[in-house]
Amino acid sequence: MQSEDKSAQDVDLQVGTTSISRRTLLKTAALLSSAASLSSCEHLVSRVTENMGESVPEHIAVSTNSQIDPIFHLLSRAAYGPWPGDLEKVKKMGQGAWIDEQLNPDKIDDGACRLRAGRFESVHLDPGTTFEYKKSVIKEELVRHTLLQSVYSKRQLQQVMVEFWTDHLNIDINKGDCIYMKGTDDRLVIRKHALGNFHDLIKASAISPAMLVYLDGNQNKRAKPEDVPNENYGRELLELHTLGVNGGYTQKDVYEAARCLTGWRIHDQWQRGKVYFDSELHDKGSKVVLGKTIPAGGGEKDLDRLIEIACSHPSTAKHIATKMVRRFVSESPQPRLVDEVSQIFINTRGDIKPMMKCILLSEEFKESAGQKIKRPYQYIVTCLRSLAADTYAHQELVQYLVRMGQGPFQYPTPDGYPDEAKPWLGTLLWRWNFALALTNKKVPAVDVSIEKLAKAIYPNAEAEISAAQLMPHFVGRLATESEIAAFQQYISKNHSKKKQFDKNQSLSPGDKHLPELIGLILSSPAFQRC
Amino acid sequence: MSKLNRRAFLKNLAFSSEKVAPREGKVLVCIFLRGGADTLNMFVPYADSDYYKQRPTIAIPPPNKSKPNAEASIRLNDIYALHPRLKPILPIYQNGRMAIVQAVGSDNPTGSHFDTQDQIEHGEAYGKTIGGGWLGRHLRLNAQNHQTPLSAVSIGTSICESLSGAPSVSALDSLDEIKLQTLPNDSHAMLAALTSLYGTEIDLLSQPGKDTIQLLNRVQNMHNGGYHPENNARYADDNLSKGLKEIARLIKANVGLQVACIDFGGWDTHFVQGATEGLQADNIAQLGKALEAFDADLQKYHSKVTTIVMTEFGRRTYENGSLGTDHGQGSAMMVIGGGVRGGKFYGEWTGVSDQETDLLGPSGLRIKHDYRAVLSEVLSGMLHNHNVHKVFPDFKPTPIGFAPTTSA
Repeated sequence: MQSEDKSAQDVDLQVGTTSISRRTLLKTAALLSSAASLSSCEHLVSRVTENMGESVPEHIAVSTNSQIDPIFHLLSRAAYGPWPGDLEKVKKMGQGAWIDEQLNPDKIDDGACRLRAGRFESVHLDPGTTFEYKKSVIKEELVRHTLLQSVYSKRQLQQVMVEFWTDHLNIDINKGDCIYMKGTDDRLVIRKHALGNFHDLIKASAISPAMLVYLDGNQNKRAKPEDVPNENYGRELLELHTLGVNGGYTQKDVYEAARCLTGWRIHDQWQRGKVYFDSELHDKGSKVVLGKTIPAGGGEKDLDRLIEIACSHPSTAKHIATKMVRRFVSESPQPRLVDEVSQIFINTRGDIKPMMKCILLSEEFKESAGQKIKRPYQYIVTCLRSLAADTYAHQELVQYLVRMGQGPFQYPTPDGYPDEAKPWLGTLLWRWNFALALTNKKVPAVDVSIEKLAKAIYPNAEAEISAAQLMPHFVGRLATESEIAAFQQYISKNHSKKKQFDKNQSLSPGDKHLPELIGLILSSPAFQRC
Repeated sequence: MSKLNRRAFLKNLAFSSEKVAPREGKVLVCIFLRGGADTLNMFVPYADSDYYKQRPTIAIPPPNKSKPNAEASIRLNDIYALHPRLKPILPIYQNGRMAIVQAVGSDNPTGSHFDTQDQIEHGEAYGKTIGGGWLGRHLRLNAQNHQTPLSAVSIGTSICESLSGAPSVSALDSLDEIKLQTLPNDSHAMLAALTSLYGTEIDLLSQPGKDTIQLLNRVQNMHNGGYHPENNARYADDNLSKGLKEIARLIKANVGLQVACIDFGGWDTHFVQGATEGLQADNIAQLGKALEAFDADLQKYHSKVTTIVMTEFGRRTYENGSLGTDHGQGSAMMVIGGGVRGGKFYGEWTGVSDQETDLLGPSGLRIKHDYRAVLSEVLSGMLHNHNVHKVFPDFKPTPIGFAPTTSA
């Protein structure tokens, strides 16, 4: 009993640090005592978070329109799809209010998510301390931390932006010692600035130890005139992070940028993992970057000046606006919207919130419903959320992502996982098998309540339920005739020996084929889109 | 969908499946020996007395001159002999289906396995990041070729670096994983429903959906029959043999395989490497038997399938104090099948004598061929990729001559 008491205590402490309401807390405390007989901390957390809203609600309102519901569309792009019940909630709230709320994530209570995702020690430690952990442990914790937040956080827009910036400022944790430092990068660069200011984001990234290792910034020096600066980071800063490859910089600019960036190092013994500036390794001469002169003797301020010049360049506004529109609206970014967003970038000096708001409220966004194809990460997270799955993102679940080629933080090159659909189209088989395994409860340590979900969608307890009734919950619109025909094909083949069914073939909520029917919906083309 | 459309669509479907069915594409199989294989003990330079001086305990005896209780190497030509455990591949060499390129390597000065493997798999010069792996870029440039879920396969649980960035790539241990994970007896109904769902698609998802369904049907038929290797090929039970067997099944199943990668680890022989018996000899034996079975099984596909066997670097020419060898430079690379002009070595033997004084980076066999020159020739001469300069940008390959002179 001792260990169980201890886990109850751990949870209690963490609950204490969140801002959940007093009433929830009391309810939680009551549950804690009854749940103490459960065998593991995770079961306990599941019980507690269920009570905090991480479950299937009694009743789920679904779209009754043949077109994708606009709120469903919003939640498919600015979130990882609706959690059961979200559609109704956001409708009541109104689209604008929801966006405003999401743009201020710190004001959203995320206690339940923190109970699941906040337990991984190594994620919260500085690089000096993480060196005491095994690489495999840090890797596992970092990935689980990220995946669990994507699934359970109520700060959904922030999570989606975290994925966006993680690609934009990609770091492969398999390179060198990056793994020890990526947790800090994730916390202090990506998550901190995901909805903040672009200049601050790039500045933080430039002196993030993980980035200094990943792109060799910590090798970049010019102690003597004959030293050749290492251009790796300087080049990617201009090519990928700011101006874009056709942004109008020259090879000379890359060289000059690299000179500005000389001298940044990471302590390897005392204060291990901490970044410092070694003026002896810095190029002290004057530099000219993108036509702007940085006078000699600037020392560590050269980096600030460089970042300012690069981030203020009009090409950067255009590049970032294009990438955001590509991610959130269309693979062929609409020039009008790109111009509007990049103008906001320029006017606000890189304030990410108004850019985001402009995109989500635009006509182009509205018209793009269902026209993008989910990448594997988004696919898996939306599957889990649509079913209100109970998971702690153990290896078996993460393995599905790795197999589909999108293990978090594991893209080798600095350009991040591709944003276009095409590279991901070979993963259908793995998607289908994930959907079938998930709904049949064959993914180890991932639990789903199919029967409860079906009853919530169609609450007439005695009645049977058909695929046509279930479909809108998953895709935000009514099923088409050809979809219904396909679902019937599945049902009738499995019931061929029984009676003939009418057009709306249905299953009772407890039918053993119901999970698989939902697996089929998750495998359908409509659910691959967003 | 209107009646007319549906008819046109069905017609289209019929045609497209016809078009897809026969695939006569070339296949590249990459076997990567992880750890830096000592190829000097695999292709033994028996004619060079320095080899025996530098390796007093671990050298492989020259042909016909065995020490008591040890086998001799098998003569290939006036310079080289095969490690006795490689005997199974002797016929492949003798029949001219295997070429060996000597002293292949990269400009990586670190001597690090990770760094050098990474560089080679990415197809880069040292310190010049390109993006994706060399096979990933190759496949992308061939994107007009039809991509299927099994165009690129990495045997194992993770996708190897060389394939990163490929338009579609699958990691799998066995072909048995290619099936729908339904409840028992449901897969037929599920597949029928998926066929309907994806059959009415018209956008990007349409072709991949149909390909995947077709793939499942094909593999289903194969499962029903079990797998019987041809020509009495006998695959052993180790991971390499099992993996190559799966690759052979994929090739015969005609499921659009273009590139398959498989790793074989355990070549980092710093300590008690052994000679004709021992640590490395066991690995060599596995390699030899696996290649033999694969070659026999795929007899009908010899011109279609090219197999390369590579490693990140060779080892020092001299043995160390713990009867092993440390990280060196050049290694020998094997190119098998695909019409290769084999039965010979490419790259002259320049001896091992002056290597010890080499102070620039880890010493070993001095590199004569940049690894990208070999890979370029495989891609252009055997797989007919005419954009090799895009796979290896900023690199001008010097022709080596093992690829058949072809006009595509």
